[in-house]
Amino acid sequence: MFDVEKVRNDFPILKRKIHGHDLVFLDSGATSQKPESVIKAMDDFYRNTNANIHRGVYELSVESTGLVDEAREKVANFIGARPEEIIFTRNASESLNLIMYSWGRDNIKKEDAVLISKLEHHSNLVPWQELCRETGAELRIIDVDGEGKLIVKNQKIKNSKTQSEVFIENGLRVRLGSLESLIADGKVKLFSVTGVSNVLGTIPDLAGMLTAIKRKAQNATVVVDASQMVPHMKVDVKTLGADFIAFSGHKMLGPTGTGVLWGRKEILSKMRPFLYGGDMIGEVKITGATWADIPSRFEAGTPDIAGIIGLGAAVDYLENLGMDNVREHEKELIKYALERMSKLEEEGLVKLYGPRDIEERGGALAFNVIGVHPHDAAQVLDSFGIAVRSGQHCAAPLVMSFGVPAMVRATFYVYNTKKEIDYLVSKIREIPKVFA
Amino acid sequence: MSDYKDIIIDHYKNPRNFGSLDDADINMDESNASCGDMIQIQVKIGTRKEPGLPRSVRNEDEVIKEMKWRGVGCAISTAAASMLSEKIVGMSKKELEDFGENGIVEMLGGEVNAGRMKCATLAFRGLLKIFETHE
Repeated sequence: MFDVEKVRNDFPILKRKIHGHDLVFLDSGATSQKPESVIKAMDDFYRNTNANIHRGVYELSVESTGLVDEAREKVANFIGARPEEIIFTRNASESLNLIMYSWGRDNIKKEDAVLISKLEHHSNLVPWQELCRETGAELRIIDVDGEGKLIVKNQKIKNSKTQSEVFIENGLRVRLGSLESLIADGKVKLFSVTGVSNVLGTIPDLAGMLTAIKRKAQNATVVVDASQMVPHMKVDVKTLGADFIAFSGHKMLGPTGTGVLWGRKEILSKMRPFLYGGDMIGEVKITGATWADIPSRFEAGTPDIAGIIGLGAAVDYLENLGMDNVREHEKELIKYALERMSKLEEEGLVKLYGPRDIEERGGALAFNVIGVHPHDAAQVLDSFGIAVRSGQHCAAPLVMSFGVPAMVRATFYVYNTKKEIDYLVSKIREIPKVFA
Repeated sequence: MSDYKDIIIDHYKNPRNFGSLDDADINMDESNASCGDMIQIQVKIGTRKEPGLPRSVRNEDEVIKEMKWRGVGCAISTAAASMLSEKIVGMSKKELEDFGENGIVEMLGGEVNAGRMKCATLAFRGLLKIFETHE
């Protein structure tokens, strides 16, 4: 295990005061803070190496190209992939859109179904809604139970026809139900699911679900939205069972403006480009062009070179901590937070959401303070220097299915401590007093 | 807690003009998509003819005569809707536009953090839409 105090020293922003208090940053699920080494890698690049990649024969360009290649290798090694399978994007949303536009439009037909879950962030929901609306395919959504876990088995309902519900609006057909009921007819062509819920922290049983799906639809393509997964636990694409994964660099200590799409080489090689322009072409004539090999085919235009180099430094930082240690650290934090918060729940002060078993839960703590709107709760916490997110967390259908318009969410990362959780709990007690 | 002045807490706990109108001229729903807050505004509209003025200078602008509202929201959006429901009586579209977001901030005690402006202006945006649809 790593020394959290030493880790904290690597993050300059943690020395900041907010409204006269020490910053307690509990919003890493939205974006993480950046260690000195990441900031320095980008600063060094701009000071000493800045030049565009690929196109230059001069020294600086050669060096820049080398640094981007090196970062690509680091990211690839980090998730057990081959470098050419790593495509740099702006963020996970762009990665998912790339799959939708490039793979989805050529492969999803009217008679197919696209399967997702109710846990999805809007970025893994809205692209598929639009694809299904365009193609006429059915969008199927695995429902969640009261703890925010995916419903796998059909429930004991007498009339088997009620195992799933159908909604039709603006030309889109949506079916909501248990996994079992949604895969029975073998029509699922694409399964896109989150690895860890950004709201409730739910970690779905990916392996179990994939086995069930592949039994009914052997050729289904699998996408994992790994935005809340890759920053927090060891991910190896060789054993994950996915064909694509999407994640953001800025949620894993890297700079904003960086995201990653990983795809299997065999699939990526057959896909058409998503964006057209410089650097993604083979040969260009006035009447048309051929496409570059992967990954260049999917990286039109000048990329965020400094950002990619910064992301490489972030991977180094995480590798140095060890991803198993990162997961252990967060498990301890969420376990402790749930223990402390359960006491407040027993007192009728808060309502907690999400699985109680920490083996099935990442470092996200969703809650509401009874009788206080989440924005008000978050603002009172801010006045004590605590940064939490409030609202629908880009997952409106999920949040509203718990019968509330919004939730407060605290998310933990490598630099958070039990002391900070104690402070959070003590300040949550102050919230109702403000509105009393 | 500078953002929660007494006046905000007062209007939050005892919202004015909360309810509905049976004979409303216009109904309008407005929401904040990212936080799930929504408000339903109902108004009666009339013209302002101030007695005693010569006919040529009477203001024929349409003004809000009465406003009732309902909704779910935070302390800031609730207090802002409550205060605005009193302020709006007799206001024309131009006067509301002139009042603007600055007027809302003033009304709430002079300080609203930028992250809460969407809450503070929820009812205001609904009222602007009311004038737009009525044109």
